[in-house]
Amino acid sequence: MKSMHRSHLVREARVAWAVTEKDMRTYYTRPPSIMFGILFPFSLFLSFSIGRNVPLAAQIPVLISQTLFFSSSSIGPVVIPSERANQTFDRFLTSPVSLLSILLGKTLAGIIYGVGISVIPVVVGIAFFGSSISSLWALIACFALSSFAFSALGIMFASIPGQTPGQVMMPLNFVRIPLLFISGVYTPIGELPMLMQLVSLISPLTHTVELARYATGGEAFFGPFLNIAILTAYAVVFLFMGIRFHIINQRKE
Amino acid sequence: MENAIEVAELTKYYGDLLAVDHINFDVKKGEIFGFLGPNGAGKTTTIRMLTGISIPTEGTSLIMGYDVQRQSVEAKEQMGIVPDVSNVYSELSAWDNLIFTGRLYDMPRDFRESRAEELLKMFGLYERRGEKVQGFSRGMKRRVCIAMALMNKANILFLDEPTSGLDVQSVLIIRDLIRNLNQQGLTIFVTTHNIEEASQMCDRIAIINHGKIAAIDTPERLKRTVESLQSVEVAFEKPPHDALTSIEALPQVSKVVKEGDKFRIFTKDPPMVYSSIWDYAQRNQLKLITVNTLGPSLEDVFVKLTGIAPATSKEGNNETSRGKGKDKKRSK
Repeated sequence: MKSMHRSHLVREARVAWAVTEKDMRTYYTRPPSIMFGILFPFSLFLSFSIGRNVPLAAQIPVLISQTLFFSSSSIGPVVIPSERANQTFDRFLTSPVSLLSILLGKTLAGIIYGVGISVIPVVVGIAFFGSSISSLWALIACFALSSFAFSALGIMFASIPGQTPGQVMMPLNFVRIPLLFISGVYTPIGELPMLMQLVSLISPLTHTVELARYATGGEAFFGPFLNIAILTAYAVVFLFMGIRFHIINQRKE
Repeated sequence: MENAIEVAELTKYYGDLLAVDHINFDVKKGEIFGFLGPNGAGKTTTIRMLTGISIPTEGTSLIMGYDVQRQSVEAKEQMGIVPDVSNVYSELSAWDNLIFTGRLYDMPRDFRESRAEELLKMFGLYERRGEKVQGFSRGMKRRVCIAMALMNKANILFLDEPTSGLDVQSVLIIRDLIRNLNQQGLTIFVTTHNIEEASQMCDRIAIINHGKIAAIDTPERLKRTVESLQSVEVAFEKPPHDALTSIEALPQVSKVVKEGDKFRIFTKDPPMVYSSIWDYAQRNQLKLITVNTLGPSLEDVFVKLTGIAPATSKEGNNETSRGKGKDKKRSK
């Protein structure tokens, strides 16, 4: 019984990885992925950071957080509406595998994309701007949990029954862009008024920024363990809400 | 277990719209089962519920004894699906499309590669296996799509409008393939608009209209249910311009439809019409070049059951309505 259960899990994991690989091959170089996953976070960073009287090394955590946030959350909204438009998403629904594994496979594609792009600011920061990693475990937790939570956020929004990436990106940006201003990206949390500090506590991006700052020698206002706990909770909640919404779609379709 | 598919009280609402209304039917193992109906009748909605894409509002469906909702993994392992649109991955090659499908079914690498090779050779696509599917013709994409549906050696193949919009060569290849697969023991569930295709290929046919099953039977038995639609087909060498009106006025004629250079005369009494037509030809010095008695076609059954005129010629439709007008007059 135990071995049957294990072989079932192994099978689900293999199919989920097949979905991830296919999404990586097919969608990473699509114009909307590049636009919303790479150009968008870098241009936002340049718009808000260039000209400020802050050393570039101190801005590296902000760039890391923004790229993790935008890149990871962009793959789901590109992949799923495109697959819905040409009905290839139906292939997953008719294959003998759970919806959880399908969506986990798609989430992993977002995670790898987000991590792959966000490593660039870390390397550039260390190589050219004198950044240093003072807590490797915090950096790993920041990358792993943030990319998971944001990729699952993208998958959750992709349950909106649109057939083009734009139909999902627009409502997603209504959430993503305001979060930039309440998450301590441009103003450290400690300098925010009390009410805003409470609001920032519920933003997942806050905890990415905090962990990135902590990993590069800065301070985490809420503490790295609370950051990890909240990001973990968001990852799980977004994933299961995504599954729930996709099932609701199946009932409506 | 005798049945490959068992459907009980299957129902689907889209908001307030009742798309499929408590339908019940069985498909026997090894059968080619046709699902026929006009646009919007509920054919695709039914196939989507049977294949697990859409969740039914009410009712159950069993695939080889497995409940599609409760035992979805086991049920889905039994089926291959060809939707109405060729949903292939255009960015991938034909080979990669098949290999990815094999991975979705968790087929071992050796098996999926040998199966992909076998299918691509069967469909005449092996030489172009490395090319991206986006450069393929519609017929070739359709063949890739069917090959993908056959990857897992399913017991039941669902085909939604498999020949719709294809060139003649692709249509013939696909029809031939369906028959061959069926001879190998595969159960086929096919939806189609093409009544003649259904008549030629299917062991049994269900006609669905407004979300309800209007009839289920073999094509020949369905035709026999509408014996009142017997007809006599005649052609004259040089028919006068008022031939249609004159023939309509003959006794025992219920309706006349002009089909090309022929007149199709609907009647309950073909011998009486033969006699009247012979008299009419003698009277008007016309030379008869064709006289045939026709039984009702599946198209006639379809029209009778759905109340919808099939997409035949405009002229034919006009004549039909003229015939109906005459019936109305007679009933007065």
